[in-house]
Amino acid sequence: MEVLLGITGKDFTIVAASKATMRGPTVLKSSDDKTRPLSKHTLMAYSGEAGDTVQFAEYVQANIQLYSKRNASELSPYEVSSFVRSELAKSLRSRNPYNVNLLLGGFDPITDKPELYWVDYLASSARVPYAAHGYAQYYCLSTLDKHHHPDISFEQGMKILRMCTDELKRRLPIDFKGVLVKVVTKDGIREEPYEDEKPVYAP
Amino acid sequence: MDALVAQHSRSQHAAEGYSEDEMQQQMSADLAQPLSLQFALPPTASPSQWLRAMTDDHSNPQCPIKIAHGTTTLAFRHKGGIVVATDSRATAGDWIASQTVKKVIEINSCLLGTMAGGAADCQYWLAYLGMQCRLHELRHKRRISVAAASKILANLVYSYKGMGLSMGTMCAGVTPSEGPALYYIDSDGTRLAGNLFCVGSGQTFAYGVLDAEYHYDMEDAEALELGKRSILAATHRDAFSGGYINLYHVKEDGWVKHGFMDTNPIFWETKLKKGEFSNVTSKMDE
Amino acid sequence: MSGYDRALSVFSPDGHVFQVEYALEAVKRGTCAVAVKGNEIVVLGCEKKSAMKLQDTRITPSKIGLVDDHICLAFAGLNADARILIDKARLEAQSHRLTVEDPVSIEYITKYVAGVQQRYTQSGGVRPFGISTLIVGFDPGSKEARLYQTEPSGIYSAWKANAIGRSSKTVREFLERNHTDSLDRDGTIELTIKSLLEVVQTGAKNIEIAVMTPGNEVAYLQAEEIEKIVEKINTEKDAEAATRRGGRGGAAGPPSAQGQEQVLAERPAGAE
Repeated sequence: MEVLLGITGKDFTIVAASKATMRGPTVLKSSDDKTRPLSKHTLMAYSGEAGDTVQFAEYVQANIQLYSKRNASELSPYEVSSFVRSELAKSLRSRNPYNVNLLLGGFDPITDKPELYWVDYLASSARVPYAAHGYAQYYCLSTLDKHHHPDISFEQGMKILRMCTDELKRRLPIDFKGVLVKVVTKDGIREEPYEDEKPVYAP
Repeated sequence: MDALVAQHSRSQHAAEGYSEDEMQQQMSADLAQPLSLQFALPPTASPSQWLRAMTDDHSNPQCPIKIAHGTTTLAFRHKGGIVVATDSRATAGDWIASQTVKKVIEINSCLLGTMAGGAADCQYWLAYLGMQCRLHELRHKRRISVAAASKILANLVYSYKGMGLSMGTMCAGVTPSEGPALYYIDSDGTRLAGNLFCVGSGQTFAYGVLDAEYHYDMEDAEALELGKRSILAATHRDAFSGGYINLYHVKEDGWVKHGFMDTNPIFWETKLKKGEFSNVTSKMDE
Repeated sequence: MSGYDRALSVFSPDGHVFQVEYALEAVKRGTCAVAVKGNEIVVLGCEKKSAMKLQDTRITPSKIGLVDDHICLAFAGLNADARILIDKARLEAQSHRLTVEDPVSIEYITKYVAGVQQRYTQSGGVRPFGISTLIVGFDPGSKEARLYQTEPSGIYSAWKANAIGRSSKTVREFLERNHTDSLDRDGTIELTIKSLLEVVQTGAKNIEIAVMTPGNEVAYLQAEEIEKIVEKINTEKDAEAATRRGGRGGAAGPPSAQGQEQVLAERPAGAE
């Protein structure tokens, strides 16, 4: 029941990931950060098989950072997504593939456009204006279809995110302990404070 | 009351004792080995058949050997350091293999590891971790961080993922750069930093007591008492946990051991003095 | 010399590994690099080869490489060998971050670089790295500058200030005379440039300066800034020379000394 959400707007990409780590009947941690910054302008959120997720994320992160040190230049979000996809595709055809689903949120400082990539463990990659993984897809995509526009402001983006997380709280049978929200803009990646104490009840 | 407490207490090694017959068998089987350092084997004619019966392949059919294991271990951070507490029972299926297992593994003077899951896996790999930590110390001329130590273990178990390792462990330590640090690592390859973890079949019972009264600003004595009480709760309700409570406190200048205490007198003391465990009667003739 | 100097990893009868000594020779012929530690600062200075007319200096690789955000490496010797070595160091720095969750310490990466260099003196079918390196930076969370040197043999050592490459002996002797503990920012940069001017004939346009301070990215000095400092050094030198001449009470010195001073005044960068 991990939740990953991504929303792009006029000059930003919002990435939200649920804070719960569950193992069997227990919530082991309720302040987990399921994201890793890959470069100054690209953030990766992950869900999937325990162990695989962090291993894959940190492996990719180290390689992207090594690239930028070697070449004294940053990869654009699109280039990062291509690299990540190819690594997943390679892994998929290996003896023990990574079972990881990803959202790549970024901002390209050259084209001055926000970008979001939906990547799954079968190494499909698609550039999308908004995205979700897991059960969140079933609840949130319809909301996003209805309310999202490519040129929304950051405030509008956060409002739509609130609609999504409220719906998840209302209808998901398991508590995912709220979401951690990160925003990518031309200035880089920052964490956005997000109020998720308030209970939401199904009508 | 003291008589009652005494009645349910026993000497530390009473549980480890073998019967005359068993002793004879063991002696003839292996004269060279010291008896007290071995896990007892289940009294069964055919070990392989027994293993088959004990193999839990419902959860993972690929797994060639999986012995069911029960444990309760816990560790939590508070302002005075980290409290680490465990029970001491080792089980193999419904067989209690030992009541005096040390489930807290002293990696070095400042780092502790806990043991849940396969006893051999934990013992071996935590000893290996101790070796790596010492090598790090020699190579880098300073003590390894808890983050790095826990990551060595996490990467190690991840490289064996899907091959049958079974471990749920916590690494606790205090270093100048990190302060008190606590990590949870399991054989899936999960590694989490946190304030409070309980691991093992009795984890839910321990969580129940611990979560309710835990807060970071606890004094040392209060924290140690809570750790002890949480293990007691688990040993009382979980059939696979029991024996002795092993209690440690990790502080800036290293860890301190606070005893290896029989659960039985502690249980009766808790019941009779504090009136807890009211579902258990202390009157034998009722 | 019956082949001792051909096969690597073979000692000569008197205990030399000739290939390593030849590598040191390549270092001596390389352009000069200087590093000076100050108080919460460390400065790398390099002699830049004069560019040919059509060369694009903006994108020609420099002698100073960034190993990680907090570590800089300058080398003297074969440029192409250095590229390989720096790349290995960068890989190790990232790998260390991945496995230990901490950036490498300066000593660690120095030991690694020296380790790689040593390996190439003891295996078959390879040739030692023809470079010495100066590795500088700040350990994570520390404000004390670190400076190490590595050599083709795999030796590494720690310094307060040091020079490698062409005329490194002259520069090192200059540093020995002029280095003091806890230099401030300007003092450290000035000493670095001054020491380089001992061997760099052509002044500011052939000098490259990188400055590291705790917790900050490496900063390269602009050509104009270097120019300004060089000018300042030269005017100071001229003034000093003038007072010395005045001090002699106008008596004509030996002609050779006179000649040398004229050269000093003519060449902005000073003479050897």
